Amino acid sequence: MVENRPVLTFVTHAVLITGVVFLCFPVWMAVVASTHGPEALSQAPIPLWFGDRAWENYSQLLAGGLPEAGGVPIGRMMFNSLIMALVITFGKIAISIISAYAIVYFRFPFRMGFFWMIFITLMLPVEVRILPTFDVVTKLGMLNSYYGLTIPLIASATATFLFRQFFLTIPDELVEAARIDRAGPIRFFLDILLPMSRTNIAALFIILFIFGWNQYLWPLLVTTDEGLYTVVMGIQRMVNSGEALPVWHYIMGTAVLAMIPPVFVVIAMQKLFVKGLVESEK
Amino acid sequence: MADLKIQELGKTYPGGVTAVSDVNIDIADGEFIVLVGPSGCGKSTILRMIAGLETITTGELQIEGRRVNNLEPGERDIAMVFQNYALYPHMSVRKNMEYGLKNEGLPKAQIAERIAEASRTLRLEDYLDRKPRQLSGGQRQRVAMGRAIVRDPKVFLFDEPLSNLDAKLRTQLRAELKALHNRLGATFIYVTHDQVEAMSLADRIVIMNHGVVEQIGTPMDLYLRPASRFVADFIGTPAMNMFEGKLSADGGSVLVDGGHTFGLNTPVNGSAGTQVVIGIRPEHLHRGDGHDIRLPLTVGFVEQLGADTVVHGTLNGGSEALSVRFSGVQMPETGSIIELGCAAENLHMFDVVTGRRLG
Repeated sequence: MVENRPVLTFVTHAVLITGVVFLCFPVWMAVVASTHGPEALSQAPIPLWFGDRAWENYSQLLAGGLPEAGGVPIGRMMFNSLIMALVITFGKIAISIISAYAIVYFRFPFRMGFFWMIFITLMLPVEVRILPTFDVVTKLGMLNSYYGLTIPLIASATATFLFRQFFLTIPDELVEAARIDRAGPIRFFLDILLPMSRTNIAALFIILFIFGWNQYLWPLLVTTDEGLYTVVMGIQRMVNSGEALPVWHYIMGTAVLAMIPPVFVVIAMQKLFVKGLVESEK
Repeated sequence: MADLKIQELGKTYPGGVTAVSDVNIDIADGEFIVLVGPSGCGKSTILRMIAGLETITTGELQIEGRRVNNLEPGERDIAMVFQNYALYPHMSVRKNMEYGLKNEGLPKAQIAERIAEASRTLRLEDYLDRKPRQLSGGQRQRVAMGRAIVRDPKVFLFDEPLSNLDAKLRTQLRAELKALHNRLGATFIYVTHDQVEAMSLADRIVIMNHGVVEQIGTPMDLYLRPASRFVADFIGTPAMNMFEGKLSADGGSVLVDGGHTFGLNTPVNGSAGTQVVIGIRPEHLHRGDGHDIRLPLTVGFVEQLGADTVVHGTLNGGSEALSVRFSGVQMPETGSIIELGCAAENLHMFDVVTGRRLG
């Protein structure tokens, strides 16, 4: 399929560039809009180039706290989101790697039963089990706390399954060599399995961090205390601010700020991820 | 370094499949034992039971007089080298060799000393900081051996360690292994399906088939006096010529189905008409008609190996296959007849039913 014809090169590039423009235009608009005042955005045509109010808008967002968003400063909401995303990510990875280790390497009664129980929960995303989960969280008194925000989202069938599949590809001889080298189950897990899984962990970290960061429905349900609002909720609250006109310059500014941590995680982890892919060999 | 006692060892899997039964081997201190046999014969199972990677269902295993049936692999004072090397991929060569010693809690200085010595022996000094993936197959296998050596175990176990290497490297590493054994003077137990490896390395060979031991002996025992038809067939390339026939009334000759008669050097006990198998190694056949036993070969095809020439064909143009190995280059015509013969003492005879050696 390697052809070298100028027309084809032109067409493929045109298609790719169109795709990139479609993908990037909304992001561009958000960045541009966050640098204008409210008037510029409520009339046609909306500006396509930067305005002069970037400094004002962002300092107001980060420091002041907006009445439109319940008066909580964006910094606080970003912090809440970060805590939630990190706890969910680390919790999911820790729990799923340990359960996968148990399922793959230990023989205990109903092993496959447990595996299938975990596997079946793949069919029950947060939205499906949200009422019973909410009920449990309420009865445990975890409403309006970081516990309530994170713990119910930690269990992960997907990650368990992923680690299981990875562990199954590790040759048995490696386990046997470790046994002969006097490595007990915990040693083997820490010294061999964990370092070998770092590619998978990096990949999962990206996916799960974004999953945690973007949680909207669950934080909306379990938090009524404004000090625990997450940034994704904040954006939505600003849009639905009742009678007043939406403050698009602030909304877009918040959106831009909310994008930064996931982008940072992707960039930081991508290096490790690719490095792991290139190096991994069993 | 230690002696091993294997008594009535057996392995039956939970499904009821018996992999190995009734194995008795006494291994002396410093001996090089090779377990050999076709795939599925149970040789690896025995090795894994010695290592402690497989539970022992019946019998007893003693290392240096101590019963080790229920000890963990790490507690048996053994080291094992695997076919696919089983190096820890994320650790450098040095870390790979260190790992077991660290777990044993050896002092750092001693670990460093042992690694220095082992890497000198195995010529791995330049590779200590590399990762296994940056090494060739032969180097990886040397690292795996190094990992075993540094542990200074009583018994070294090898599970087909050379099978993943190309032929030339295999020959080279075979020589290194033999030298290593001489240097260390430790007990080596080595599993392979390759009879050349078995013959060239072993002090004694244990040859197995279908989970039972066929014969234990020195390579020359196995070659010169195979205890069964299976052993005779397994050891030696090209394989031994076999002819089924009936014992004569006086026990002094055998009438082969193709109508050929073999006179025996020493008569054997057995009723007339007993079905037996006569075996003659291809390299024991020689040209000429002055021999005890004479076999005309109708040439089928010729394998020129350079140093040797192997001629395949049939006995006297009949249905019995016959091959012969000449030294040097020879070019017999297809369809021509070569008069061959051999000395009666080079005849082997086995019972058809039991496969055991007669006489």
